[in-house]
Amino acid sequence: MTGVVGRSVESITGALRTVFTAEQVASADGFLQRRDPRVSLCSVAGLALAVMLTRTVAVTLCFGVVTVLLARLSAVPLRQLLARSAVVPLVSAVIVVPQAVLLPGDALVRAFGLAVTDGGVAYVVLFTLRVGVGVALLSLIVMTTPFSSVVAAMRELRVPVALVWVVAVTYRYLFLFFDELQRLVLARNSRTTGQSSLRDGWRDAKRLVGTFLLRTLDRGERVGRGMRARGGSRPPSPYSRSRAVDGGDYALVALAVVAVVGSGVIRWGL
Amino acid sequence: MGPVIEARGLTHEYPDGTTALRDVTVAIEAGERVAVIGANGSGKSTLQLVLGGLVEPTAGAVEYFGETADAEAVRDRLGVLLQDPDDYLFNTTVREDIEYGPAQLGMSRRAATQRVAHLAAELGLESLLDRPPFRLSGGEKQRAAVASVLAFEPDVLLLDEPFGAVDAGYRERILELVTDHEGTVVLFTPSVDVVPEVVDRVLVVGQDGSIAADGPVRDVLTDTALLRENGLQPPATVQLFEGILDADDVPLTVSDARAHLLDETR
Ligand SMILES: Nc1ncnc2c1ncn2[C@@H]1O[C@H](COP(=O)(O)OP(=O)(O)OP(=O)(O)O)[C@@H](O)[C@H]1O
Ligand SMILES: [Mg+2]
Repeated sequence: MTGVVGRSVESITGALRTVFTAEQVASADGFLQRRDPRVSLCSVAGLALAVMLTRTVAVTLCFGVVTVLLARLSAVPLRQLLARSAVVPLVSAVIVVPQAVLLPGDALVRAFGLAVTDGGVAYVVLFTLRVGVGVALLSLIVMTTPFSSVVAAMRELRVPVALVWVVAVTYRYLFLFFDELQRLVLARNSRTTGQSSLRDGWRDAKRLVGTFLLRTLDRGERVGRGMRARGGSRPPSPYSRSRAVDGGDYALVALAVVAVVGSGVIRWGL
Repeated sequence: MGPVIEARGLTHEYPDGTTALRDVTVAIEAGERVAVIGANGSGKSTLQLVLGGLVEPTAGAVEYFGETADAEAVRDRLGVLLQDPDDYLFNTTVREDIEYGPAQLGMSRRAATQRVAHLAAELGLESLLDRPPFRLSGGEKQRAAVASVLAFEPDVLLLDEPFGAVDAGYRERILELVTDHEGTVVLFTPSVDVVPEVVDRVLVVGQDGSIAADGPVRDVLTDTALLRENGLQPPATVQLFEGILDADDVPLTVSDARAHLLDETR
């Protein structure tokens, strides 16, 4: 499978795979890396909640700035953060884009009997921004804390075992899913030569999807065995990396509390 | 001590109708070193998964340590290493993968940290500990997988082709680690040449998935007709001395062959 379809599938799967992998940033020395995992997990979750509460573009942008600052302090390259957190908001933007014409407001542009309203555009922009900043915050956690520490922190915070299980398994399977997809596409591309038409590319892509689903199921089963062989049927219990809580931890918690309270006040008033 | 693993009448048929195991009965005694050899597709991996309690056989039963038929109850004592390291390494970094077993199976964090450091040094993984496993080369993945199974110090090792893509130097290291393992070792492999270096007993899985032979390493590996019938080649040294020396004197390893030749020329 060569041509446009093949190439774009390959680059998209490559990009998606990086979204779900720990990069070496986790071992770099930075602000978030030095925090107790429980503290960073709670604080970043708090910040994400605060973002979800906001109803104005300006406040959301402020949170965006906070996210960028946290990334800078933690030696996370902004490009990598962007690459990881761009996919979800872009997809959600596509989903909410019809709201631009459906919501009432003053017409900005008219075409084909539809009017793009200012209220609609504002909604789409706000929604996409909020999702983007929220996802960027969660990516920050994943990039600066080894995944097993995140799981350990959840256990220590007494998050119900069933929920921890779901998070741990979902994360691993999402990763597996993209790993398998990329391998399949690479294998296909390496065995096809010459230029194929766009239509051939699509036909091939459809066949690929069928194979892919079977292969992922199969691989999932085998990896499941790999987990079970090492005690995976017991509740997730990775070693915790908690450490003495220090000034930086308090500062981060304070920031999160202020953010949640502030967002709440701005949204609902006192 | 009785057998650590005792299997009776194991038969396994995959959902698509392939019969991979046929009426396999085998007992592995404590402390034994056993190799399970067989041609590609004979059913070695299937046997390993069934013995390791990861696949339910269609017929027959397995008992562990003479006390239970539930493999999950003795998970911490069974080290089952799958053939494909991509199925075995599923964590986000190599370190997390090596620590996964010890953490899940209740080893103390301090012991695990020491174990990780030791195995990483032995298997040349120190500089790879913070890398995601899928970014490693084939041989590096294999070494990381071997480290992951040795990390929780299981009593019984069931290793499916642990030398896959590993270069000669690290193959020696893995052999040493396996030889030094204080416990039972069952090695599933199609490469007959490494077998005499580690084991004392050999099982041959025939191409129909039944046990074609079970005996001391010398008896089985010098029976060239038996090996060829089952799609295997005898070890290189056996081929070399076949018909020249008696079966009892044929050297099984290169170092034995060399010693023999030096004796002759002196
Ligand atoms: N998931 C499966 N579904 C159907 N058939 C399978 C499956 N896995 C293995 N088989 C078949 O079962 C038989 C035994 O396979 P197995 O993997 O146990 O062989 P093996 O001896 O380990 O081979 P190798 O030396 O290549 O690793 C083969 O014929 C194989 O095609
Ligand atoms: Mg096999």
